[in-house]
Amino acid sequence: MTEYLKGNYKVGAKIEEEAEAADATEQFEKKALSRLGGSICFVSKKTLMWNGEPQPQARRADTVEGAERSEAGEPQPRVDKEHGAGPTDR
Amino acid sequence: MELGRRIASGLEAATFDRIAAIGLANAEVNRPRIGRSVLELQASRLGMGEDAIVVGAGPSLARRRSLERLHAAGYAGTIVASDGALGACLRAGVVPHVVVTVDPHPDRIVRWFGDPRLTAPSADDYFRRQEMDPVHRQDEVGANRALVELVDAFGPKIRVAAATSAAPAVVARCEQAGMELYWWNPMFDDYERPDSLSRRLWEQNRLPCLNGGGNVGTAAWVVAHAVLGKTRIGLIGMDFSYPPGASYEKTQYYPELVAMLGDRFADAYTHVANPHIGETWFCDPAYIWFRDVFLGMAGEADCETVNCTEGGILFGEGIAFTALDEFLTRGGGGR
Repeated sequence: MTEYLKGNYKVGAKIEEEAEAADATEQFEKKALSRLGGSICFVSKKTLMWNGEPQPQARRADTVEGAERSEAGEPQPRVDKEHGAGPTDR
Repeated sequence: MELGRRIASGLEAATFDRIAAIGLANAEVNRPRIGRSVLELQASRLGMGEDAIVVGAGPSLARRRSLERLHAAGYAGTIVASDGALGACLRAGVVPHVVVTVDPHPDRIVRWFGDPRLTAPSADDYFRRQEMDPVHRQDEVGANRALVELVDAFGPKIRVAAATSAAPAVVARCEQAGMELYWWNPMFDDYERPDSLSRRLWEQNRLPCLNGGGNVGTAAWVVAHAVLGKTRIGLIGMDFSYPPGASYEKTQYYPELVAMLGDRFADAYTHVANPHIGETWFCDPAYIWFRDVFLGMAGEADCETVNCTEGGILFGEGIAFTALDEFLTRGGGGR
């Protein structure tokens, strides 16, 4: 198509509308982020609680071992007084 | 992507930027007062059984009379409340076993515990505008006075799971009301990074770091599960949204959104149709972020999370959605 449609003059004005609009949106979003947000951080990590040491993988009730214990009526792993009660690595 | 969700996608980093410095400063101020670890709550006499109810301060609490129904049912499991829900709990005759507080804001959060220093309406209109505890809207000073009396009366029966980031004014108020404080660190960042603030804080005080999910309601759920080991957790008042017909003016971030967007402020709200209740609720960018984070956390957690709010937008994989009465009826050892 460019073979047939060719301009025969040069445009003097520099068109920057889109760039300006994008900058404004970016500015707004930056400003918004500085004023909105939570009261405590969220860390994208599969850990609810960390107490100083690398946490062992939690044993889920739906893993084979957990399910076997459950079916056998054996007690499930319970509170770890030092590192917390629930699974710390989810 | 719509505006609200686009803003929400940046809130994890933005919250760190806004909260970390003041949270760490508060931890430093609170240091002389820090005694018991939150892990010591495991040895406390709380509710019976493996169930817990986590109480958020969303509008469904009043709309569904959730606390009154909880009280009438004689629920005997553990009740963990967010600080914003404390007043509603006590007025309904529900004394939570544990109240969770995290927000480092210097002036506002103490009001959830009743601020004895407040003698005239505050210049800050937050409590006259917020939707979390509507009694503060009509008569700010009277509602605060009544809350001071309630917290003073029941404080000695309530344990507070306090983040080290909590405002010193909150800590002082809890101590004054005879509440027992149990401490934890907010997880600020990835503790495996060599320059981690979370790790540095842990090295200073050896308190466990909890992943708070952006808000105190989610932090209360983390306390119930990861700290107390509860395996079946019902949620009430955890809406992360505003009900149909609510006015934008009464939403958490309205002034900020109007200041930034002018007439286009409504574009920042996300509307979510909830198929469980047949209603469409709406939320601002922070709430949609809280919701997405919570769904991710609950979906991977080794416990059953049951949304009993009968409202809001918190539904999806990993969360059951049932009526509160059904949760209470099937409560096993919790009742």
